[in-house]
Amino acid sequence: MSVLKLHPEKCTGCLRCELACSYMQTGEYQPAKSVIRVSPFEGHTSYAPYTCPQCAEGWCMTACPVGAITINAVGAKDVLDDKCVGCKLCTIACPYGTMFYDPATRKAFKCNLCGGAPACAEACPTAAITYEDVATADWLGDFAVERTARVLAEAR
Amino acid sequence: MTPATSTAPAKPTTKSAATARPGGYAGNLLRVDLTRRTCRAEPWSPETMRELIGGVGLGAMILYRETATRDGKGNVSWDHPDNRLVLATGPLAGLPVWGTGGLTVCTIGAGTNGPTSTQANGFFGTNLKYCGYDAIIVQGQSKDWLYLYINDDVVELRDARSLVGLDTWETQGALYKETGLAGHQLSVYSIGPAGENLVRFAAIQGDYGHVASKNGCGAVMGKKRLKAVAIVKGTKSLRAADPRGVVQAADEIAHDLRTDASARSLYEYGTLPGVVNLSKMGALPIKNYTTNLTSNVAGADLSVWEAPKLRENFDHRGHQCNACGMHHCHMSVIRHGDQKGKIVDEPEYEGWSGCGWAIGAADRDSVAWLNTECDRACVDVNEWGWLCGWVMECQEKGYITREQLGFELKWGDVKGAHRLLQMVSRREGFGNVLAEGVKRAAEKLGGPAKECAIYIEKGATPRGHDHRSRWEEMLDTCTSSTATMETGNPVHPTEIGQPARINPFDGEQVAKYVAGLRGRRSFEDSLGICIFTSRTRLEHVCRALSAATGWAFTVDEALRFGKRTAVINRATALRCGHTGAMEYPSTRYGSTPVDGPAKGQAIRAQWEKMLDTWYSEVGFDRKTGKPLPKTLKDLGLDWLSKSLWGNKA
Amino acid sequence: MAARHLVIGGGTAGMNAIRTIREEESERSSITLVSAERPYSRMVLPYYLDRSIAESHVFTATGKVLADWGVTAHLGKRVTALDTSASACTLDDGTTIPYDDCLIATGSSAVRAPVPGADGRGVHSFWTLDEARGVIAQIQPGSHVVMVGAGFIAFTILNSILSLGAKLTIVEIAPRILPRMIDDTGAALVQAWLKEHGVAVRTGAKVARIEDVKGRRRLKFAAGGDLVCDVVIMATGIKTNLEWLKGSPVKVNQGIVVDEYLRSSVPNVYAAGDVAEGRDLISQKAAVHAIEPTAQEHGRIVGANMAGKNVRYRGSLIINIVEVCHLDVASFGAWDDTGAEAASSVKADRPAYRKLLWRGDRLTGAIILGRSSDIWTVNDVGMLKGLVQSGVSLGRWKAYLKKNPFDVKPAFIAAKTTSTLLPETVLGRPSKAPGETPVAV
Ligand SMILES: Cc1cc2nc3c(=O)[nH]c(=O)nc-3n(C[C@H](O)[C@H](O)[C@H](O)COP(=O)(O)OP(=O)(O)OC[C@H]3O[C@@H](n4cnc5c(N)ncnc54)[C@H](O)[C@@H]3O)c2cc1C
Ligand code: SF4
Ligand code: SF4
Ligand code: SF4
Repeated sequence: MSVLKLHPEKCTGCLRCELACSYMQTGEYQPAKSVIRVSPFEGHTSYAPYTCPQCAEGWCMTACPVGAITINAVGAKDVLDDKCVGCKLCTIACPYGTMFYDPATRKAFKCNLCGGAPACAEACPTAAITYEDVATADWLGDFAVERTARVLAEAR
Repeated sequence: MTPATSTAPAKPTTKSAATARPGGYAGNLLRVDLTRRTCRAEPWSPETMRELIGGVGLGAMILYRETATRDGKGNVSWDHPDNRLVLATGPLAGLPVWGTGGLTVCTIGAGTNGPTSTQANGFFGTNLKYCGYDAIIVQGQSKDWLYLYINDDVVELRDARSLVGLDTWETQGALYKETGLAGHQLSVYSIGPAGENLVRFAAIQGDYGHVASKNGCGAVMGKKRLKAVAIVKGTKSLRAADPRGVVQAADEIAHDLRTDASARSLYEYGTLPGVVNLSKMGALPIKNYTTNLTSNVAGADLSVWEAPKLRENFDHRGHQCNACGMHHCHMSVIRHGDQKGKIVDEPEYEGWSGCGWAIGAADRDSVAWLNTECDRACVDVNEWGWLCGWVMECQEKGYITREQLGFELKWGDVKGAHRLLQMVSRREGFGNVLAEGVKRAAEKLGGPAKECAIYIEKGATPRGHDHRSRWEEMLDTCTSSTATMETGNPVHPTEIGQPARINPFDGEQVAKYVAGLRGRRSFEDSLGICIFTSRTRLEHVCRALSAATGWAFTVDEALRFGKRTAVINRATALRCGHTGAMEYPSTRYGSTPVDGPAKGQAIRAQWEKMLDTWYSEVGFDRKTGKPLPKTLKDLGLDWLSKSLWGNKA
Repeated sequence: MAARHLVIGGGTAGMNAIRTIREEESERSSITLVSAERPYSRMVLPYYLDRSIAESHVFTATGKVLADWGVTAHLGKRVTALDTSASACTLDDGTTIPYDDCLIATGSSAVRAPVPGADGRGVHSFWTLDEARGVIAQIQPGSHVVMVGAGFIAFTILNSILSLGAKLTIVEIAPRILPRMIDDTGAALVQAWLKEHGVAVRTGAKVARIEDVKGRRRLKFAAGGDLVCDVVIMATGIKTNLEWLKGSPVKVNQGIVVDEYLRSSVPNVYAAGDVAEGRDLISQKAAVHAIEPTAQEHGRIVGANMAGKNVRYRGSLIINIVEVCHLDVASFGAWDDTGAEAASSVKADRPAYRKLLWRGDRLTGAIILGRSSDIWTVNDVGMLKGLVQSGVSLGRWKAYLKKNPFDVKPAFIAAKTTSTLLPETVLGRPSKAPGETPVAV
């Protein structure tokens, strides 16, 4: 299965992936409706995109009381809108923080790998997001450790 | 309370929304009255959007319409409560075109006491539009320090007393804390001590390193006692009329920027290559225009100033604006020297010149640090360079004594410069005189000191180059109605009927060229896009605009729109008393280089002729500075004729 | 390996167990389901109440699906006795069903406060589909509904009542609302928010009796002050459905006592869901959670074990979320641990609230509260769950989070929580999609 591989050192925080994702998923430009979210590190000097790793457990999927989350053709956990009742259980079940809820539609939403043509990867001008046939991994951990050392030192 | 001149067109805020809102727009203007402490959303009509677009197009009209004195004859001054501070974005902001977080600030500025259009980027425009607004119009004056908080429909003027005295970075940090947000979730544009203390060249700084720097717009904000504008990334959606078209245009622009010879270095390194490139032309300003040889700066080794070396000297990290793929903005961590470990914004070319070469400093680490210190204090680095360099020269020559200044400031002394920066931004001691800006300080001192000062008679100062070898920008800066360049040279001049190359020291050619380029800049500054990401064919930019809005916007229409905007700004400037007599460089600014590549090229000898040509090309009256009735008619601005020319029209 | 499985109770736990048996087993076994109700999800009932879904949407398995899965179903039947020595159960119609192993997953039911008139006309519980039908028929736009009890379940249906256009008053005997879901500070914010949204709340109010007056209900309070309304909903608590187990050797404490494989004191009898006293992930002590995700995990673990796997149960985390008029309120783990180190931050004007709790340098509990439009703009809700669930050591991030409880993301990522979580699965293998349950051939 191909997954989104994240290359945090290449990210410049331009948020173009968020725009592309929201457009692909909703037809509108609105980062709050994107399921890839760029977060800042070291105050504001470093950024990295973050999205659903399509974890093996699929906590969101097993938690859904009505079976509204399934696995799509490219192996991504995907919300079936007509089944979702908007109870938000998946959003607190996912321990990665990558299940979202849209107050406007009253549905949960998440990364579905755009059915195999990820808009975020396509939009990223620096190739900080690539779609590759590799095992999912903690792409950001080491980077975050390095790029937060200063903030941590200040927090003491 | 809004004195509208009798001849101005209808309010840009008609309620009729008979026609559907064009794509790309949020649909509302946010009017904030600091005197009454009210904030209200004003929907604006699709017709007005089409007429004014946004950015400076919108801002210029608001200034013209709303800043006249009550009798309609003159204009309110920069520190009057009726002055407007327009923080506008444009229809491309928030869309996936590169560099679209755009902010255009329009106000009656403290530098020239006339209109301004000055840009910054980051995420201001993006966040604002996701909250549902295309622009903020600030009016009135508060008694207490406030900051404006915007989160979708929640728009509040909040107590900012705890923020007073903080620099701009600290302010952003404090607001992150207060709101519990981080990164681009919250865009903050604020003023530091210089703005609070009404320094005439105070800037508005935002999102760590983006600066709307010109004409003391930060002082206007300070006078209004508005410490900051904090905008949460809202949750309202933006639509495009033709989303695929937007992406296609964005791709074409990106392709141009990546591959076009004249844009490519910008794509790779932003404005960093400017230092070496401009030094080869004699346009790198060195030691307050006393020389054009880098070797005259102690310790200068130009080879380490090549862009890649400049960047790699630091632990650098991309820090781009909305949807931008340029390798332009960066944050840097200083690796060596006294300031080791400090986080700074990678200076733009103008920072390297204003905090470096102009003051005879060439240590990259300390220059970068000083540049960020200027941003944090909210001081325009350009005017800073001219001011600090002037003080250094005057001290060297004995025009400003040690006693006067309180200490000795020598060429290249960055620590001393930093001390001066604190004095100026807090108006301490002699800093109080300097805080009035180069022109007013020089006039106050008079005599030979005045002769060394770099400024424009209107009260502004140039951008950070030596314009004695860049005549087109000197002419543009002096004739501009917005206190800084109004045209700027595009990457594809032939696209708009201008020659690919001119003789840079032929006044006639220069004046024709500057006049011929009019319109383009004002158009681009109305879109909410970055000046650098629009360094492509105008045709692509028009295509992006058309795809976003659903209008069919041509290059001709773009130029016409831009010219119209520039004329409206000129009308306001005239009302501010900016006559043709002020369109001159100061003695030093218009002097002749004594060495370097442009040695002996004397612009002043050709100046009158250049003005003559420029005036006749743009269709303005040389004597009064007014746009001629025919020019107005051609641009569809007949309504302006009446107020400019009275019954003669 | 067991060939005849008996599942008692077709709710969340029972149905998860059945699916998992079918997913895990190597040989086809026989499964018998006895359930007093058709399989449906109780927690979806609020969406049926507000009519955003049709009644059919609540069912988790139709007769056809059960047939496809090869389940012999006795629906609408109750088990009345379990004979563990004979390994057989008896139904209310007298049928006896023998088993090799069995799962008890009979869930809980609502209990009404012992108040005179609580069983009268127009007084409802809201726990089962039947009860939900009863309530739906009664609420019209403009009806005045009084909810007795301000616990989690009351709040899950609050939005639905309001969206039907009814007027709502909440009456709670305790001095505050949501006692088992958030702390005092959070509760006060929610109470203020409710007031702002036109919901009257009376705390510390003891209902003395409920009277029927001309087709309306009058609630009399111990301290005086009557309330007259159209509909009363009693959300005053629940109890486990285990009366029928009396006299069997299956040991029951708060719920059925289970080992780490969710086996009861009788080795071939398992328990899952609201009736099981499974392990709490944080305290590692036995506890009845009575929440959906715990019932799911229990059900899946038991299913795997009944299918012959030996899956240990690590314990479940208490996680709760409710929306109150577009204000989201969630809590995780041991948010009420008085012995924990805590840090909190309130932004009353938004409103927004965070509370984080630590034991040592691991996060053991959290509360998060904020507007729905705000809260989903960041990833914090799930990340807090991840931090509590994974138990990663936060090191110096603890000090950071204490100062910045609203900035969870960098701590989550830099503590490499993702690395810890990725290998974690409940059954020791990737989960299957709901539609992938093998069907009988
Ligand atoms: C309105 C409402 C909202 C809720 N919202 C949430 C929420 O948002 N989040 C959350 O985590 N939890 C929520 N819950 C709780 C959640 O629904 C339960 O924790 C969950 O259903 C427990 O599952 P279970 O399988 O243990 O029991 P149940 O789902 O209750 O299933 C028990 C089954 O056993 C049957 N049964 C009972 N006795 C017998 C018998 N003697 N013989 C045969 N069959 C019998 C019943 O008919 C039923 O089918 C909510 C509950 C309700 C009522
Ligand atoms: S919000 Fe929708 S997808 Fe998520 S658990 Fe509830 S019903 Fe399932
Ligand atoms: S949303 Fe969360 S739980 Fe669901 S697959 Fe992605 S990471 Fe796993
Ligand atoms: S793959 Fe598609 S859905 Fe997933 S984050 Fe990228 S753009 Fe969004």
